[in-house]
Amino acid sequence: MIPAVTREDLKIIGYNLGKICYVTGAVLFLPIIVAVIYSEFDTIPYFLIGSAIAFILGCLISHFLYTKKEMELKHAVCMAALAWLLAPILASVPILLSNATASGLDACFESVSGFTGTGLTLTLDIDHLSHSINFLRHFLQFFGDGIGIIVVSLSILGKTEMSSVLAFKGETKDMGMRPSIVRTSRMIIKIAVTFLIIGTILFTVAGIKAGLDPGTAVFDGLNHSMTGYATGGFSTHSQNLLYYHSVWVEVAAIVVMVIGAINFNLHYVVLGGRRREILKNIEVRVLLFMLLTFGLLVSANLLFTNFYTSGEALFRKCVFHVISAQTTTGFQTVSPSHFMLLWPVFSMVLLSAAMVIGGSANSTSGGIKMLRVGVLLKSFWGDVKRALLPKTAVVRGSFHNIEDTPLTDTVIKGAAMITISYLILFSVGTAITAAHGYGLEDSMFETSSALGNVGLSCGITSPSMPAMLKVTYMFLMWAGKLEIMAVFVLFGFVILCLRKGIKK
Amino acid sequence: MRRKVCFLAIILLLFMIPPVSAESGKELVENSVHFDNKVVTLRGEVVGVLTRGDSAWVNVLDNEVAIGVWCRANDAKKVSVIGDYTHIGDTVEVVGTFHFACTEHGGDLDIHAENFTVLASGKVVERAPDLLTVLLSAVLVALAIFIIFWLRRLREEKSKIVPWPMSWT
Amino acid sequence: MGLRKFSLVNFLKKNFNFITGILSEIGLTLLIIAVAMFICLLLVFIKSAP
Repeated sequence: MIPAVTREDLKIIGYNLGKICYVTGAVLFLPIIVAVIYSEFDTIPYFLIGSAIAFILGCLISHFLYTKKEMELKHAVCMAALAWLLAPILASVPILLSNATASGLDACFESVSGFTGTGLTLTLDIDHLSHSINFLRHFLQFFGDGIGIIVVSLSILGKTEMSSVLAFKGETKDMGMRPSIVRTSRMIIKIAVTFLIIGTILFTVAGIKAGLDPGTAVFDGLNHSMTGYATGGFSTHSQNLLYYHSVWVEVAAIVVMVIGAINFNLHYVVLGGRRREILKNIEVRVLLFMLLTFGLLVSANLLFTNFYTSGEALFRKCVFHVISAQTTTGFQTVSPSHFMLLWPVFSMVLLSAAMVIGGSANSTSGGIKMLRVGVLLKSFWGDVKRALLPKTAVVRGSFHNIEDTPLTDTVIKGAAMITISYLILFSVGTAITAAHGYGLEDSMFETSSALGNVGLSCGITSPSMPAMLKVTYMFLMWAGKLEIMAVFVLFGFVILCLRKGIKK
Repeated sequence: MRRKVCFLAIILLLFMIPPVSAESGKELVENSVHFDNKVVTLRGEVVGVLTRGDSAWVNVLDNEVAIGVWCRANDAKKVSVIGDYTHIGDTVEVVGTFHFACTEHGGDLDIHAENFTVLASGKVVERAPDLLTVLLSAVLVALAIFIIFWLRRLREEKSKIVPWPMSWT
Repeated sequence: MGLRKFSLVNFLKKNFNFITGILSEIGLTLLIIAVAMFICLLLVFIKSAP
């Protein structure tokens, strides 16, 4: 029997949420540096207000919900789910105050899209947005999705190892890379910063080659590196990467996107000297297979419908978007209305499938994750072999993810549960979108983009979108980021409170 | 003689047909196939200039949609103000051939400019800090600092362990 | 001042695995790009073949 929720449970969750508020408050200070560099002094009060509200809330929560008790798994999961709502709401304050969006709901949407690394945007006029607010949008993706707010919060502020480990699991970063959580989180941050620097250099060089002045190239390079590594997809311009009309910028983007979609564990072992792991890993193999298969099919579809007729166009439009979709980044070099009005349905369906499948587990990518897809495919193949072999034959499956792991029923069940949950939410999201009058393939495309935290848009996501749809997509982005389970655990917790009340 | 006159009249008429004029960037993008390889006129604000040798890309924003214009570098040099947070960019008029998937530029949607004119110069946008917002930020920051220290004192009096950031001072 | 002399060779030796790891990851992405480009050119060739 599930025990009733007690006041102590609420205190444990609330107290740890206070730390999230402190970290969010600290994050909102950073764009002030950018505002000073670009003399955008009018934007500084927006960040001070957002930061102050976060700190005040954090202090009040930490004081009135103070507890010495450790988190258990249920607290960690609920805390993670609530943190991924609370932090975006707090971070939306400067966005709202700067009038970058049309309403408070749009500001929350933008912030949720930032933190979850989605990239769907409701910003009104990106080309005239201040550097500081633009930097905030991109930094939210790097900090929230690229590193993970809970990773940072608990490695700095975590009480004990156990509560931090459990909160990690809640944020779906189930890693055993290093003996301690502090070392693991330091490694994640070190990997992120290393690739951020490399990505910035690549984008800056490509930008200068494309014709930008060095200052703009560095600013744009840094921002695109942040969102590329975080597989987020926000851009500093309304045209996204089409602004640059440059194959070199797109190549730099592909490098950063693919690296962002790789498992943190794999980064760790490869950077530690086991370079051969990069091709032995099941997720890399599935990624290569998916990219090349989907890339071939989409390119063939658009070539034989005479949409794009040159090899360069096929690479820069078809393959680029397949990679952007599969890695769940969302960088775009095609107008959203072209996806909706001109691209063939077959290609749209393939891109939607790529978005739903997503990138590697324990990476910055979203989606069902290739590890689960790989596990299910291997399980399916194992069942086929069992049917073909004699009854007495024993079929043992395994997969190589850093090390050889047996394919047990528990592993298969876990992968199946998440996959089914994704597909249910995908169906519900598609139905809600279609109910607002959009076509089926467009609804599938936009829903898979929100749920998989991708950010590619066929034009449905816009400030004029119905409010109900905005709320729906915010829910999908939030649930997709937490890989669904944490959301259901939170709902279960709330239902338990309502049914049995809160005991002392 | 009559045939010659008719023929000349037809030729003259063909030259007099004005280029297809697009109402907005949005219309061009949403009806790309209709405008493909046709001469169009686009008016809008310059939000980006990327010079590449003898040529340049000028991104022109019109009705929430920006389109890349491929033009001569000398034309791009006519642009004095590029739109950003503190500037409204030059308003330009571009007459050129529209491509919804340009074969020369890797499938990009673009306009190859034949005529590039700066209609109006850009201007600076004053962004002075709003007094009310500044006051509110000052009040909230002061309140935050007060609450941090006040709650810390309360904790010390109740002899509880003080969580960060209250314990860092 | 007592600062240690920076030696590029020592730095590279100390971080050899890290640097080669990064190069191999970037190499993987360049491999993807090369294969994708080859596939695109092959498709165009197939289409243009009589």
